[in-house]
Amino acid sequence: MPGPFAYFIWFVGILCEAAVLVCALKKGAFRRYLLLNLYMAGLIVVELGRYKIVSEFGLSSTQYQYFYYYSDAILTVILYFALSSLYSHVFSEMNAERYVKMGTLLLLGGTALFTYAVVQQSTARFVTHFVVDLSQNLYFVGVVLTYVLWGAILKLRETRTRLIQLVLSLGVYFSLLAANYAIRNLYPSLSHYFIPLVGVFGTFLPLAWAYAFWRLPEEARLAPSRLAVIPR
Amino acid sequence: MSRKLVVVFLVMLVLTGAMGLKTAVMAHSDGSLIMANGSSPAPITPYRNGSSPAPITPYRNGSSPAPITPY
Repeated sequence: MPGPFAYFIWFVGILCEAAVLVCALKKGAFRRYLLLNLYMAGLIVVELGRYKIVSEFGLSSTQYQYFYYYSDAILTVILYFALSSLYSHVFSEMNAERYVKMGTLLLLGGTALFTYAVVQQSTARFVTHFVVDLSQNLYFVGVVLTYVLWGAILKLRETRTRLIQLVLSLGVYFSLLAANYAIRNLYPSLSHYFIPLVGVFGTFLPLAWAYAFWRLPEEARLAPSRLAVIPR
Repeated sequence: MSRKLVVVFLVMLVLTGAMGLKTAVMAHSDGSLIMANGSSPAPITPYRNGSSPAPITPYRNGSSPAPITPY
């Protein structure tokens, strides 16, 4: 069973995720950022489901393993679409929504094909291998997409504060997890410190999004000079 | 047409970059996974049976250093 600290972080995470939905509803941003909010709603449902399964079957049970990894794959796909909706927001003035949708579907299909090509050699538990690997590959695609989006925000001199906050927090969240993973593998002796940090980082994204919905109005704008100076 | 080709090119570029990043980050991996959704504790990987350490590659006999390639 997880320790008291893991339980504490877990429940703080669920509270933060609920806070995102409440803040978005209160500030009228639920429909505008529908996919982001759907991702948070899905996360709450999955977290509660995981809690029920852990309390019934235990952390090392097969039920928890399968529920955890299959639900994680679904959430990663929803997060991927939420990220593509941020692209639609950034490129909304260029009427590029059609191309964003096309690129989103192509990239998802390409990632699935690549994953299939890698996993097809494994005969045992093929579906599970595929689901877990697809989730991992989509995660890295998400990391690259977030950096590319940040580059586009700088280049286009995007000034919508809330949108910038949403994208930046996603970038920081992805980077924290990747850095944590890399350090953990470089220094296995420090794993005891870095593994619990994953849960702490899990609360960062909902906290940052809740802040963006609660404190930053949709009309708020950043002065372009405060973002970056890019020679044209 | 050219815009569509640009989209296809960008998609391939992002996919290549992402898989390159994955290879770089997971180069020294012990087989564990990056979990990015929520703060619930992660179980062991479903297709890893048990938590015993992975054995050495089966075609390496012994721990002596490999010689240089004969050709």
